[in-house]
Amino acid sequence: MDVLVLLGEGFAGALTWQNLVWVLVGCVLGTAVGVMPGLGSSMAVALLLPVTFSLDPTAAFIMFSGVYFGGLFGDSITGILLNTPGQASAIASTFEGHKMARNGRAAQALATAAIGAFIGGIVASILLVFFAPLLADLSSSFGPAEFFALAVFAFAATSSVVTDSAVKGLASLFLGLGITVVGVDGVTGAPRFTMDSPNLFDGISLITVTVGILALGEVIYVACLERHVANKTMIRPTGRPWLSRKELKEATPAWLRGTAIGLPFGVIPAGGSEIPTFLAYGLEKRLDSRRRKPRFGTGAIRGLAAPEAAGNSTTGMAMGSLLALGLPVSATAAIMLAAFRQYGLQPGPLLFERAPDLVWALIASFFLAMVVLLILNLPFAMVWAKLLLIPRPYLYASIALFCGLGIYATSGATFDLVLLLGIGLLGFLLRANDFPLAPLIIGMVLGPLAETSLRDAAMSANGDLTTLFQGPIVLTIYAVLVVVLAVAVRNRVVARRAAARTPERESVDAS
Amino acid sequence: MMPSNNPTSVSATVGNRLRLSRGGGLVGLVKSLAMPLVLAAFATYLVIGIITMRVPPNAAFPGPQFFPGIIAAGLYVFAIVLGIGAVRAVGGTPDAAEPDERTVGVDWRSFAWVVGSFLAFAFLLGILGWIIAAALLFTGIARGFGQRNVLFALFVGVTISSLTYIAFDMGLGLSLPSGILGWAF
Repeated sequence: MDVLVLLGEGFAGALTWQNLVWVLVGCVLGTAVGVMPGLGSSMAVALLLPVTFSLDPTAAFIMFSGVYFGGLFGDSITGILLNTPGQASAIASTFEGHKMARNGRAAQALATAAIGAFIGGIVASILLVFFAPLLADLSSSFGPAEFFALAVFAFAATSSVVTDSAVKGLASLFLGLGITVVGVDGVTGAPRFTMDSPNLFDGISLITVTVGILALGEVIYVACLERHVANKTMIRPTGRPWLSRKELKEATPAWLRGTAIGLPFGVIPAGGSEIPTFLAYGLEKRLDSRRRKPRFGTGAIRGLAAPEAAGNSTTGMAMGSLLALGLPVSATAAIMLAAFRQYGLQPGPLLFERAPDLVWALIASFFLAMVVLLILNLPFAMVWAKLLLIPRPYLYASIALFCGLGIYATSGATFDLVLLLGIGLLGFLLRANDFPLAPLIIGMVLGPLAETSLRDAAMSANGDLTTLFQGPIVLTIYAVLVVVLAVAVRNRVVARRAAARTPERESVDAS
Repeated sequence: MMPSNNPTSVSATVGNRLRLSRGGGLVGLVKSLAMPLVLAAFATYLVIGIITMRVPPNAAFPGPQFFPGIIAAGLYVFAIVLGIGAVRAVGGTPDAAEPDERTVGVDWRSFAWVVGSFLAFAFLLGILGWIIAAALLFTGIARGFGQRNVLFALFVGVTISSLTYIAFDMGLGLSLPSGILGWAF
């Protein structure tokens, strides 16, 4: 029970009053950004990253854990009340959640979502406590070839499985990889693609790229569509914001099933919590159709409970694989990785030995963040929904202002602001042409790991590249990847055939 | 069931199902070739960089050029595949839009307001200082989003830029330029 002692020490480290304030600030900011339509937790983390530079690492990460989970609690509020999911992982819970709200059960729908997110997150955090050290032990036997295989897995999974056009996904991924090779080469010291400009010697920062692609690109994109946008009416919840015993009994199995579906996806680098939320929704729908009185389509509480729990359990576990393996499975985790690097920390097996107090304080702060978020969301969901009343011109103008603030605070140079605008324009172009953005961010984050492990492995084998495909762990990873790709291709073919056969039914399902 | 590759933008962001129209003929072709051209241009930049790179003589294989080489090759391949697809799509029939989707065009005036404001902000920040430059950025972007009442937007902008200056420069110790306002003190 070593881990419990360590966790206890973590709690002791996290439970100072300053840190509690940072958890609270993080949760408030995370929920606030998550509530706003179109802004998810990855944007919240990217925008807040430069702001935390003046904090010490422990306080900064404790604040981040609040932001990280806060975004997930908040995004379902817009989905339920406005039928506008805050980010991709909230789409599945919007289907039944919005129907519940339309039937006058908005307050109960918000409560179901908040409790679901809480259960998913807390179960994932408990498992993480026991699982992360094991994973770290396992991965300490990983060499460069293994890390290269994991990076390839993440690249393939995010660019082709999650997106619907593999070429677009791969193009986006390679753009991200291409951005990482700019700057002085770490192995030989040769300046690469810098045009001899000292501004580029350190490379292009991940923060500039994420803020540019996700935030500024979004601002430009929405501005270009603003004239065509119709405002939607928001449902105002009334009545009791808690659940009756009957509703609890109805929702509990769905919460648990959702959590179970979400957990494994936190360890698989497959692009975050979109897939598990849809899987959880699909499972509940299939189970529901077997009942005597199917409830789906009329605001079924289970159709909301399961995806919410699945989304948060994936997010919680994703933090485990980030800490133990140094492998980000989603865009948000990728930005958290950048945050670690900013403080000179490299997540991975060594982190548990080098900075145990920081790691365990961070894990302890997950539990604190969950409790704080439940308190913030259960009774005050309506207060958060008020944020949706900010007129869009001011909302997006503020986002652009914070982009400029964050980037200028990191570098203090006009060059980086112009670079940010250039990357924002690239993000606009990608969005306008329906290119997925997640592969670009993943490529940007794992690119350096892929390159250094590729070169380390090949150099230690005297330039023999076949060494990358040797060893049991490496071969297992590639075998799993082949299976995943085969299943994805099969599913796509099946879906295309089904869509060709019954086009009407498909459109009803999607609406 | 996934609405698009970026489910949080377009359709979901503002709760409307919108789709950008390409337009037909030559204009449509140019628009749909934009991404392949960007990919090819970036690949060319990498290739030029690889050729002109000064590599230390003791660098063993795979050196600093190996990984960028793979990336450049991949980018060229994707640019060609996407380019062929774009040319074919213009010749063929446009894809049927989904029932509740509307196709709309890009609003280039808003685009110019947003991009122009940010560019001006980038270059004026050092001279005007954070409070004035950020307030102008705020006003310009609000204008791009169709806010007609510019004076009120400027008022909100000055309030927000002053509050951020107080919170981040004075409170958290980030260094934001004080600019021309700083000379008065």
